[in-house]
Amino acid sequence: MVDIVLSDALTSRAEAVRRFGRRDSLFRAMTALAALLVVAVFAGVITSLTIGAMPAIHKFGWNFLTSEVWDPVQEEFGALASIYGTLLTSALAMLIAVPVGIGIAIFLTEICPRPLRRPIGIAIELLAGIPSIIYGIWGLFTFAPAFQQTAEPWLIDLFGNVPVLQDYLGGAPYGIGIFTAGLILSIMVLPFISAVTRDVFETVPPMLKEAAYGLGCTTWEVMWRVVLPFARTGVVGGAMLALGRALGETMAVTFVIGNAHNIQKSVFAPGTTISATIANEFTEAVGDLYLSSLIEMGLILFFITFVVLACAQMMLRSLERRAGG
Amino acid sequence: MIVHSGLYRRRRAGNAMFLTLSVFAAIFGIVWLTAILGSLFYNGFSAISPKLFEEMTPPPGSDGGLLNAIFGSVVMSAIAVAIGTPVGLMAGTYLAEYGRHGWGSFFVRFINDILLSAPSIVIGLFIYEIVVVNTPTTHRVCQAILGSWCPIGHFSGIAGALALTVIVIPVVVRTTENMLLLVPNGLREAAAALGAPRSRVIRAVTWKAARAGIITGALLAIARISGETAPLLFTAFNNQFWSTDLNGPIANLPYVIFQFAMSPYEDWHHLAWAGALLITAAVLGLSIAARILERSNRS
Amino acid sequence: MDAPVNAGIKVDIRNLSFYYGDTKALKDISLPLRDRQVTAFIGPSGCGKSTLLRVLNRIYELYPRQRAEGEVILDGENILSPGQDINLLRARVGMVFQKPTPFPMTIRDNIAFGIKLYERMPRSELEGRIEHALQRAALWNEVKDKLGESGLSLSGGQQQRLCIARTVATKPEIILLDEPCSALDPISTAKIEELIDELSADYTIVIVTHNMQQASRTSDYTAFMYLGELVEFGPTEKIFTTPENKRTEQYITGRFG
Repeated sequence: MVDIVLSDALTSRAEAVRRFGRRDSLFRAMTALAALLVVAVFAGVITSLTIGAMPAIHKFGWNFLTSEVWDPVQEEFGALASIYGTLLTSALAMLIAVPVGIGIAIFLTEICPRPLRRPIGIAIELLAGIPSIIYGIWGLFTFAPAFQQTAEPWLIDLFGNVPVLQDYLGGAPYGIGIFTAGLILSIMVLPFISAVTRDVFETVPPMLKEAAYGLGCTTWEVMWRVVLPFARTGVVGGAMLALGRALGETMAVTFVIGNAHNIQKSVFAPGTTISATIANEFTEAVGDLYLSSLIEMGLILFFITFVVLACAQMMLRSLERRAGG
Repeated sequence: MIVHSGLYRRRRAGNAMFLTLSVFAAIFGIVWLTAILGSLFYNGFSAISPKLFEEMTPPPGSDGGLLNAIFGSVVMSAIAVAIGTPVGLMAGTYLAEYGRHGWGSFFVRFINDILLSAPSIVIGLFIYEIVVVNTPTTHRVCQAILGSWCPIGHFSGIAGALALTVIVIPVVVRTTENMLLLVPNGLREAAAALGAPRSRVIRAVTWKAARAGIITGALLAIARISGETAPLLFTAFNNQFWSTDLNGPIANLPYVIFQFAMSPYEDWHHLAWAGALLITAAVLGLSIAARILERSNRS
Repeated sequence: MDAPVNAGIKVDIRNLSFYYGDTKALKDISLPLRDRQVTAFIGPSGCGKSTLLRVLNRIYELYPRQRAEGEVILDGENILSPGQDINLLRARVGMVFQKPTPFPMTIRDNIAFGIKLYERMPRSELEGRIEHALQRAALWNEVKDKLGESGLSLSGGQQQRLCIARTVATKPEIILLDEPCSALDPISTAKIEELIDELSADYTIVIVTHNMQQASRTSDYTAFMYLGELVEFGPTEKIFTTPENKRTEQYITGRFG
């Protein structure tokens, strides 16, 4: 009796197994296809942008990168002002956001009283969650006017008579401009830096910190001389990730950058970035060359962020490997 | 041991100074957060009224609401999540279950993470180039397949939704892979030991175990695309009237805010703030929901 | 325990070697697993007993860089040959793991999972099979009123019995137990040892345990392993009272391990 039952079970099993084989292959193929799709999108982005940029590439060649001229009427375009603006605003943003972000991470890890840690941590994360267009209109309606009337004139006066700096920190107070854009960008990205730095701090073995404290180091010395060097790669990786985001940021910058296609010495002057130019001018662009120039700028931006993000990834991944992840 | 009091004093002073700076850093962050949210509520709240949900975007100088924009945003986001989540789920499953250690997966992961942080305006340009631009061959092929639903050659809600989908996918891939990697191998082994084939193990056991985390990922993706403006600027474009035709330009909150805020008209500014408040509320709401889900999952 | 010497051989392990990458973890092991008897694998940590167990249902193949050489003959066929269907094998050879692993589903669905993989049956029959499996795992009375609750809501000992019920539900021929009680309290352990005794009437059982008393209590045959080699194999009573190998004796008497 047992034998018959067993052989019934075996035949239905054999059928089931055949079904499984087909289903398994199909499922696996579908997942692989989805993964391939991701790569295809990436390839598609590069290809379509390159094709779209071709007319401009042919017309302007390398001059596109070095020319400040932006003349839609004469159809003469150069991306230098935009590239300069992109790099400068992001650099300013990093200058502010990196120390502040690391400072916040140190605060939350070492100084903040425990019950406050979660709420303040969440508050900082909220900054990251606010959509960039909110930063944009806040910058335009609230921050820029206030800045124009208070801090900016003060700063300009402060450096007004300092020989070298007066050019870089002088001029008329517009409220908007490169500095404003950089500052707003810095507020946008500092939660990223803070979050990554905190995560990286958690990978530091407690033994290391205890050993330093045990030698009589002050809190600051432990952070500066032991923790940060240990976590250096991760912190830099996190900063580069933030930089990648800052470079590509559009809406927060477009509202307050001033949209001036020229390079001026003062950081308080208006300027433009690649994404701001594209955002402001794309739908109004008449003529293939105009459009193509904008797309070429998009391609340049993608290339710059790709390099930065790739470096960031390599650093963060090497950290993961060290932590045994 | 002789403690050099001067040195020690300097170290302590340095310590105090830098730690104070850290506190200031935290205050810096919180001050801006309060300033932004405060400003948002102050300016946006007064513009909140039922009319927002009843009337369309008005021409300058008249009264109106944001209904068409809200509709457009909700529909495009819904489509983006509906398409992007399954694709991201499958790709993330591939990375976590089938290709955990191979070179191919390393490459896919690398590309995915680049796309995750790539400038969203570039994504908009990409969709513009392949959908909005009228390339004759693609147009003919697409029309043959999709007929009047073919979105090639003009601005459309479909193009906007596609751009948002491209943003959703990497987010879901990342969170799915992370969540699946957290599922203990013992669970997979137990299912395999019963004779379940790989696909069954994944679908019936591994996915189920990671379900909360995967949903959290989808919520975060929605929060992310809710505030995205740049990808819609030249895909969905804008439409000042009510429209349910996704195969044409369609209004959306971010674009309306952009247009209204950059204009010189006061009443348009009010509506822009109201729209901003709506978006922020949605984003924060979703983030809170994701957090609650994460916490209940952990317990 | 009486060990009928003429019980047939269910699984014949012949010259089995196992590799983790380049490391040889099992060295040329040969031993028989007798039908409807309980065989125990004992030995100090790292001796390869779990590795050997995991060859029997080829669960190691979930991981790259692990491979087996040699033959494992089940009912006349070598289960290690490439032509063998792994899923079919695993339906015949059930496994219970060290850590209880209930699926994130209801208790009912946990048991039904394995059954529904290979068999189609009306709802009433399925319910009957579920009840039968839970009865055999001595869990029915405790869960019969809450079959719709999550498997994770049970205690550790109950979860392990759930896993046993889940394994038994698919009507396997062999049940492998990998240190099934090491994560459990003494009372649950005693219950499970009782279960093993009952189950051995119908299933061929292999149990890996680091608890020698458990091995001597529950098994008919014992294999003592050390550093990847089979040091001694024989009827449990003999191994524990008059072992032939000096090292076996040292391990049994607690001299090492």
